[in-house]
Amino acid sequence: MTNTLTCANLSKRYGGAIAVRDVGFTIAPGEAYGLLGPNGAGKTTTISMLVGLLKPDTGTVVVGGTDLAAEPMAAKAKIGYVPQEIALYPDLTGRENLRFFGRLFGLPRKALRGRVEEVLDLVGLADRADAKLDTYSGGMKRRINIGAALLHRPELLILDEPTVGVDPQSRKSILDGVERLVADGMALLYTSHYMEEVERLCHRVAIIDHGAIVAEGTRHELIELVGGVDRIELTLDGDVETALAKLHGVGGVTEAVRTSAGSVRLIAEGGRYLLPAIISTVDGIATVTAVEVVEPDLEATFLHLTGSTLRD
Amino acid sequence: MRPHPVWALVAANLRRHSRDRVGLFFIVVMPFVSIIFVGMALGGGTAASRLPVGVVAQDFDPVAAAVLRELRAHPDLEITAVAGKAELRAGVRAGALAAGVVIPPGSTKFELVMTQSNGSGMAARSAVDVAVGKVAAVIEATRAATSAGATPAEAAALVRKAEAASADVDVVNSSTASGTPRGFAYTAPANLLLFTFINSMAVAAALAESRRIGMLQRAFAAPVRRGAVLFGEALSRFIVAAAQAVLIMVVSSLLFGVSWGQPLGVATVVGVFALVSTGAAILMGSLVRSSAQPSAIGPPLGIVLGMLGGCLWPSEAAGDTLNAIGRLFPHLWGMDALLTLSRPGTGLGDVLLDVAVLAVMAAVLLSLSLVLFSRRTRIL
Repeated sequence: MTNTLTCANLSKRYGGAIAVRDVGFTIAPGEAYGLLGPNGAGKTTTISMLVGLLKPDTGTVVVGGTDLAAEPMAAKAKIGYVPQEIALYPDLTGRENLRFFGRLFGLPRKALRGRVEEVLDLVGLADRADAKLDTYSGGMKRRINIGAALLHRPELLILDEPTVGVDPQSRKSILDGVERLVADGMALLYTSHYMEEVERLCHRVAIIDHGAIVAEGTRHELIELVGGVDRIELTLDGDVETALAKLHGVGGVTEAVRTSAGSVRLIAEGGRYLLPAIISTVDGIATVTAVEVVEPDLEATFLHLTGSTLRD
Repeated sequence: MRPHPVWALVAANLRRHSRDRVGLFFIVVMPFVSIIFVGMALGGGTAASRLPVGVVAQDFDPVAAAVLRELRAHPDLEITAVAGKAELRAGVRAGALAAGVVIPPGSTKFELVMTQSNGSGMAARSAVDVAVGKVAAVIEATRAATSAGATPAEAAALVRKAEAASADVDVVNSSTASGTPRGFAYTAPANLLLFTFINSMAVAAALAESRRIGMLQRAFAAPVRRGAVLFGEALSRFIVAAAQAVLIMVVSSLLFGVSWGQPLGVATVVGVFALVSTGAAILMGSLVRSSAQPSAIGPPLGIVLGMLGGCLWPSEAAGDTLNAIGRLFPHLWGMDALLTLSRPGTGLGDVLLDVAVLAVMAAVLLSLSLVLFSRRTRIL
């Protein structure tokens, strides 16, 4: 399957300062790709180069098989770009804003009306479509902001911090909607300050810092990069004391303590892969009635790799 | 059918302007308030606004009687008899009289009392000149007839006959005598330029807003050429400027009977002036930091340029220094062209210099502002 987005060797320098250095990744159809990085890491510069707002010093961007530099119009027509700010006319209604973007993307007059209704339904704002945008809540504005990028049915959706300043209900509705689009085969590039959103949505994540990608992979691969030490909480029924002594001997387990009458905490490397060994070790001594593997999260990985938290 | 992206921008921008009630008030109502008030102050249109002229004269003096008869017959003058010279001077100084005439008994040397040249004083003076000239011609003709051997009665009859034959010519002459037309014929073009420019400055607010909220960057990310986005933004502002001008022209000619002159000439002058306004609007929209600034800076700037260009008072009242400064700005050229065109028998050929100067100003402003605007909307 050909990738929806292929970018390679993207670099951009301003005077002496390097904003983006040798950035490259691919996104397949139906794949959600997260771009994580602290402020000023080069996320927005990278996105600006991907959507054709900024000319890279080096590197290529190919969208749906079309080279952005060679055929900018054709390539841009395949991208739905949702900027970080709410770029909509505040004095026009939601419907009028969508109509504007539909026309801007050259939707045929006849198709435009129906498509605007579809998108209004998709973002759940059909009932407020004729109110002026400046009467909308932050979440509603965000939903129209995303809707405006969907009118022309893009192959690649680029969301730059789409949930900033959004109430939990709108956030859920946005994430549900985006998930459906990805399930329907759209490729997604997502940046966010909210680690849990990226963890929930994205199949693969790149961590960008000082203009370069420092790590890339599935959530799990990234966490393993840090040499993830897991915490395993076991609830046992039976001879807990003997079981604890045996568990000390399991390869990979670095620590085992009894936390209450029927529970044991283990600290282990690659915890989830040890579970079969752990359960067979206590077999016949005690019955495992509950188990919880607490892995280090992406936030910890991010902190480890960039030396900063996402929300500075 | 695929709509052109330029129209997407134009349609959205015009819809935004139509939602701006304060802006609409300034476009639809304010120009006419200004045209009516200033027009009436400068003696516009109707009978009530004839120019008041005071006269000090003895009725028994035949020359004085003849001049008075002519002055009273003049359609633009309201003649008031005043007892003495001092009273007349006071009236002119206070502005109750546009001008005054003192006719000493038995003399043909009249004294004209008026303040430093202003619109109505100049107009009154030219009307008085016409009346006096007519009487002088009658006296001269009568003297010539008498010296050629006619009796006074015969001479009077001959002169009356000649006078009747030349009356039409006299009327035509007198109506073109004054330099600047008075009343609505002056305030309508003046306010057309004033408000076309001021309201263009005000719509620059919407442009600054588009820039601020990232609307333009987003449009540049769409499959639309950069030039098309800039053209769409410029065209939106040009349409507002042109609509303002057309509205003033239509309403002023229907309600106040203003005759604008040769359509081709007027369309050309108004068209290039609207382009100048568009350029100024884009420049303003590119330079300001917030969308509140254009509506704060625009009107004062527009009014000052209007003052320099003779849109608030006739330029002959302004003096050479002000007019020399005014030549640097578009209003004076536009005013000159529109007033020239309002005289019968003139056309585009008579205002080519004005049009050329305005066209150069438009070209410079538009290219400068579009380059700047394009640069300001580029991501660094």
